[in-house]
Amino acid sequence: MSNPAAPALESALTDRFHFGQILVRKINGAFVLSHCGDETRKKLKTFQSAEDAIELSKFDDSGNYRPLKTAPNLAHGWRLELARLEELQRALDYFYPGRLAVFLAWKTGQLHTTPLRETLDRQSGMYRVAAKISDDQIDNVVGDFCRSDGGCLRTILWKRDQRGTVSSAKLPLEKFDPACDQIKALGRPGSSAFAEATADKTTPAIATIPLLCQEPCNLLVAECRKVVKGKDKR
Amino acid sequence: MRSDSALLIVAHGSTVNPDSSAPTLAHAAEIRRRKVFADVECAFWKEEPSLRDAIFLFDPQSVREVYVAPNFISEGYFTQTVIPRELELNGRTTNRSNGQLWKYCEPVGNHSMMTELLLKRAGEVAQDADPAETSLLIVAHGTDLNENSAVAAKREAEKIRTLGKYAAVLNAYMEEPPLISDWQKLTRSPNVVVVPFFISDGLHSYEDIPRLLGIRSCHPKPLGSFTGSLDSARDDVESSQREVFRHNPYTAGGRSLFYAPSIGTDQGFADIIIEQAAKFDSEAYRDRGTKFIAKN
Ligand code: SF4
Repeated sequence: MSNPAAPALESALTDRFHFGQILVRKINGAFVLSHCGDETRKKLKTFQSAEDAIELSKFDDSGNYRPLKTAPNLAHGWRLELARLEELQRALDYFYPGRLAVFLAWKTGQLHTTPLRETLDRQSGMYRVAAKISDDQIDNVVGDFCRSDGGCLRTILWKRDQRGTVSSAKLPLEKFDPACDQIKALGRPGSSAFAEATADKTTPAIATIPLLCQEPCNLLVAECRKVVKGKDKR
Repeated sequence: MRSDSALLIVAHGSTVNPDSSAPTLAHAAEIRRRKVFADVECAFWKEEPSLRDAIFLFDPQSVREVYVAPNFISEGYFTQTVIPRELELNGRTTNRSNGQLWKYCEPVGNHSMMTELLLKRAGEVAQDADPAETSLLIVAHGTDLNENSAVAAKREAEKIRTLGKYAAVLNAYMEEPPLISDWQKLTRSPNVVVVPFFISDGLHSYEDIPRLLGIRSCHPKPLGSFTGSLDSARDDVESSQREVFRHNPYTAGGRSLFYAPSIGTDQGFADIIIEQAAKFDSEAYRDRGTKFIAKN
């Protein structure tokens, strides 16, 4: 079996790196994954199959279903040990589906991005109405829904429209920079990985594979629709 | 399959039901394990990876052709409009700018092996019931604007009926006649087996159909008196709802009722997905070519 993202993953691999909220460490030749805030935490429940990542990524700490896997609400308390690179790739694909492949496409210059207006114009059925959203409303809805602290940890590569307008003027520039680790925006106290990466400026920041967003997701399209429908009612 | 062929299983997924994508992921893992394809990936309308992500999932160096298998019960809005549009397919086959050839297969539920699988599931859920004294009900949603699942359920019921194995084989629906809530009137045999013709378990199979059958202990309404909205209690999904499949047979009106999980959760679906891809290149498939409408 071929593993399309494996070479990219291998080249991006360092002994420890972040992928969204996951900290991957290479320990004695094996890969150890955990929530980035759990590095020093004791009593983590240990799992050993890549497929365990399906359940680990399904619910947040309160047991709520996570419809957006790149939302910053990955559950704590687990440790996933994997022996082989293929398993690591599969597990990361379950945690953040499609993100490694998109990262690889971006690295090799094959990723194309789609502006929000184009995505909205393409919709049919109940989502067609979403295209009526105004630029101001986009600013707000994207600024709120996609923000890294509480919304989504992806780095936005798409523009608002064909003219190349920034997707939301309400988001910091870091949100559009694949070199920035979006979990820094969380600033959650008690996150040792965060503290290490940011507090001590002499320590080099931990390597990061960015979660890239090349096109607005369906959840954002649904939010745009809600905004338009709300306006219609008024 | 060629060594540079990959499989993309496309399913609906859900933003509220954690069990929606589970069977699709499980079938993909099984097919991956069998090493039939160079790569096996999933994509979802409502989950990740999205249909738009799917365009980038296969390495153009090692994967030269991609079979797209829609994990849907029937043709409909998603297979005919949404999937072709989102995946930028312009016909049965699409040549991509990266040199890949994408082949758009029929929905999995359309495959003739589905009949066998329904029979297998019915047999497994009611092992001690003599089919000659058993009615089999294939349940679909009905009045579903997005899928022609009612037609598909009818077709499967007809095919199983002609085998003459069961006392009776009927298609029944949640929201249009023949109504599943009328099961006691629709059937006469001492045993009744109900198989939901859905891709995954969810509120319909955990809550709605059991309620319509009158087998939900937490909704102790007399049989046949159900009039409430099927949309009620939408927020109330718990994993304990799988319990409903563990209490067979139910006894109602002096009859034994056996209730199966949705057909799409059967492991045999993995075989059908593979066959649906294999069928694409076969003669038999070509008859259906003209039915495909890609809207761009
Ligand atoms: S559009 Fe992209 S950045 Fe915004 S919420 Fe969806 S996936 Fe995240």
